[in-house]
Amino acid sequence: MTATDRSTTAAAGSTEPVLRLEDLGVTFSSETGDVPAVQGVSLYVRPGETLALVGESGSGKSTVALASIGLLPENARATGSALLGSTDVVASSERDLAALRGRTVSMVFQEPATALDPLTRIGAQIAEVVRNHRRIAAKEADALAVDLLRRVGIPDPERRARAFPFELSGGQRQRVVIAMAIANDPGLLIADEPTTALDVTVQAEILDLLRRLAVESGTGVLLVTHNMGVVADFADRVAVMLQGRIVETGPVEDVLLRPEHEYTKRLLAAVPRLAVAEAGQGTAAESGPESEAGASAADVPRPRYGTRAKTARPAGDPAEGERVVDLKDVSVVYGRRTNAVRALDGVSLHVRPGETVGLVGESGSGKSTAARVALGLIRPTSGSVTLFGSDLRRTRARARRSLRSGIGVVLQDPVASLDARMTVQECIAEPLRVHRRGMSAKERQDRVAELLERVRLPRAFAQRAPRELSGGQRQRVSLARALALAPRLLVADEPTSALDVSVQEAVLEVITELQEELGFACLFVSHDLAVVQHFAERVVVMRAGRIEEQGGTMATLLHPGTEYTRRLLAAVPVPDPVLQRQRRAARHAAAATAAGTAGPAAGGAGATA
Amino acid sequence: MNTFLYLTRRVLQAIAVILIVTVATFCLLHALPGGPARGILGPQATAQQIAQFNHEQRLDQPLPVQYFAYLGRLLHGNLGTSYTLNEPVSQLITERLPKTLVLTVLSAAVGLLLAIPLGMWQAVRRNKPVDYIITTLSFVAYSTPVYFLGLMLVLVFSHILPWFPAQAPQGDTLGQVFADPAALVLPVVAGAASVVAVFSRYMRGATLENLSEDYVRTARAGGSRRAAILRRHVFRNSLTPVVAMLGYYVPVLFGGALVVEQLFNYPGMGLLFWTAAQSSDYPVLLGCVLVISVATVIGTLAADVIQRFIDPRVKEDRA
Repeated sequence: MTATDRSTTAAAGSTEPVLRLEDLGVTFSSETGDVPAVQGVSLYVRPGETLALVGESGSGKSTVALASIGLLPENARATGSALLGSTDVVASSERDLAALRGRTVSMVFQEPATALDPLTRIGAQIAEVVRNHRRIAAKEADALAVDLLRRVGIPDPERRARAFPFELSGGQRQRVVIAMAIANDPGLLIADEPTTALDVTVQAEILDLLRRLAVESGTGVLLVTHNMGVVADFADRVAVMLQGRIVETGPVEDVLLRPEHEYTKRLLAAVPRLAVAEAGQGTAAESGPESEAGASAADVPRPRYGTRAKTARPAGDPAEGERVVDLKDVSVVYGRRTNAVRALDGVSLHVRPGETVGLVGESGSGKSTAARVALGLIRPTSGSVTLFGSDLRRTRARARRSLRSGIGVVLQDPVASLDARMTVQECIAEPLRVHRRGMSAKERQDRVAELLERVRLPRAFAQRAPRELSGGQRQRVSLARALALAPRLLVADEPTSALDVSVQEAVLEVITELQEELGFACLFVSHDLAVVQHFAERVVVMRAGRIEEQGGTMATLLHPGTEYTRRLLAAVPVPDPVLQRQRRAARHAAAATAAGTAGPAAGGAGATA
Repeated sequence: MNTFLYLTRRVLQAIAVILIVTVATFCLLHALPGGPARGILGPQATAQQIAQFNHEQRLDQPLPVQYFAYLGRLLHGNLGTSYTLNEPVSQLITERLPKTLVLTVLSAAVGLLLAIPLGMWQAVRRNKPVDYIITTLSFVAYSTPVYFLGLMLVLVFSHILPWFPAQAPQGDTLGQVFADPAALVLPVVAGAASVVAVFSRYMRGATLENLSEDYVRTARAGGSRRAAILRRHVFRNSLTPVVAMLGYYVPVLFGGALVVEQLFNYPGMGLLFWTAAQSSDYPVLLGCVLVISVATVIGTLAADVIQRFIDPRVKEDRA
């Protein structure tokens, strides 16, 4: 092994590993030739331990996971060996692999929304896995499925076993997938980004569940993730992958706190860290006062992106009266009568010139709806929206259009938000064609070139197609398009959620610098509290269509005024294993107290997961 | 939304569609040159004879009046009287419709029973020789006109190889039709060919799409074998879009019956329609079109209801 591995000595002598990869290589054959995805990967997972495989997209970490269970796509070729006990997955036939999968090794996937057969009841799907490997009666398998549902924390398992996947929330579906994975007590559980598609509070519950199951049955876990907080929370050892190779391996404390490889250092530096006020929370201080908790809490409140000191600026409130966008008591109701859904309920928020407001909340909290109301894309059922001083209800269609030209938008999905049939030039020039009719083709071209330079892309990109660009580059093209009309307000809805951390950092820096230069205000929608903490001056916390609280970012996120925000913050895993262990203990203690004082509330939280 | 409300709404929609169809066909038929009188009385008829005929048949009244009169009679089950056969249209249709239904339902059933497994087989063997062969045959079957295919079937399996009769069963009752199953083979095969071609393509596409779904990977990760995954999961998931298409295929089936009945001399509704069209027999044409459009609407309705039965999510979406 060429990579630095500081854990080999510790490994020797202990139990036989459940998974041992030796010099694993995976090559994808494509029309343009062979693409090596994984090269010379060697690692092991022992019973009861969790190895986290981390890296950015394209690093080959998922490919390693799939190769370990023999689920590589058909155009992939594996070399080397992947030993599950004594069986080499690389050399095994499909028939032999089917006998292993679900019994010796099983897998939990990223997307709970699509991981289950939509037309089969969940109990039957679990029972199927049981009966794949055990010769038992259907009735018995059904009973086992109910037991498994109970083990993974699904309330009322007898009844829920008859539910279809669409009747369950994302977190519950992931619990079902986990139930399938542990149905036959496998020696190795592979979890590929198991919580990436989930809200933080649900993520914390799923991680707790996985940890409990692994400890209970001594299962080894190969955890694939890009989230360093999840690694800190869950892993015993870490392997860092870069371009198909492992560059660093070691115990989680070593790799995350004292990384040796240059790439690991860069990766960790790019992770936005959530500043947490540990001192105020008695439980954390009690559980481990000698750790670095104090230090990391002290050094965090600093602006991160760009050069300006974000926290210092808005204090004076130079234009208290002036508001770029102002939502007053806005409600949005979909459907009628009994089917009515309140997407927004009495939401009031505003953005002042030049400031950045972070809109945070879990999925379904209404944060994107609020952003769309601000854009004038959704007409509120009640309440008023004032954009640049004009009430949107009282403006005519044409006037509204011209008002809207003062807003730029960047959306989440870098692939879907650019028309694949247009060149970058055409994408960026489109708002100019619509709103600046008088502009000549030459002027437009110059403007596009200028915008590309602003977002730090080469002018030559104008003639490229979006598909030739990376995710980060596409988001910068989106940003250039959003800025084409020199907007006074930029609405960014999860602009970096689909990007790797290092790319996220670059994109956020560009936005910050341009904001400083051009002075536009920014409404920044995100589920990532750490990003918002570093990026926004004020924060609005939403929950179930209502505003839970709002205020200065540092004040609100360090000393939250509501229980919900506190829980949201507590659920965010921080990329420091020592600190995270304390936070977890504190969260459990808080949950225990809450359960003691208000039992039904805790039960309700479990049911919504 | 509960099932009763849903069905009520769907049936009301269906009735509206049928009304629109009657208006459209009525207008179209009246727009044809010559008019019915010329067609019935022949080219030698005098203007006076035509005027008298038009008056007797109330064809001289304004079109809306004619239409509503027709609609009123419809509600009493009266589809008028055939100009040429001098029999009530309703009676003509009730005699022949069951035979056509036998032909179309058998064709559809045989076609689907072949198409669904073929499509799945192709998907599993994607881009392998089997896939290419079936695809080629599908295109041939789909692009060959039904009358040509029927003639070839008669030539090969009746004249060269005397396996099946060249004529369909000639009996008037269904009992007599079923008494001669060998005679049904060639008409049903001719009718089923395009069903196999079209629906094996649908099934292939739907299966391929489902095979790439995440749930297939989950099932594999749980140790399920390929055949079991196809049987338990992919089959049902692939069937839903195919069922939805089936409703829209009803008029195509009737169109096929038109040609097949003519070719095999099978006295069903297709043959009735064919002769009526040749003699401008308005009441019969309107009656047949109505029956076919009702059948189509019922077909799509049935497809929706079946889909609702297979796929639990459909209920939620409509709510």
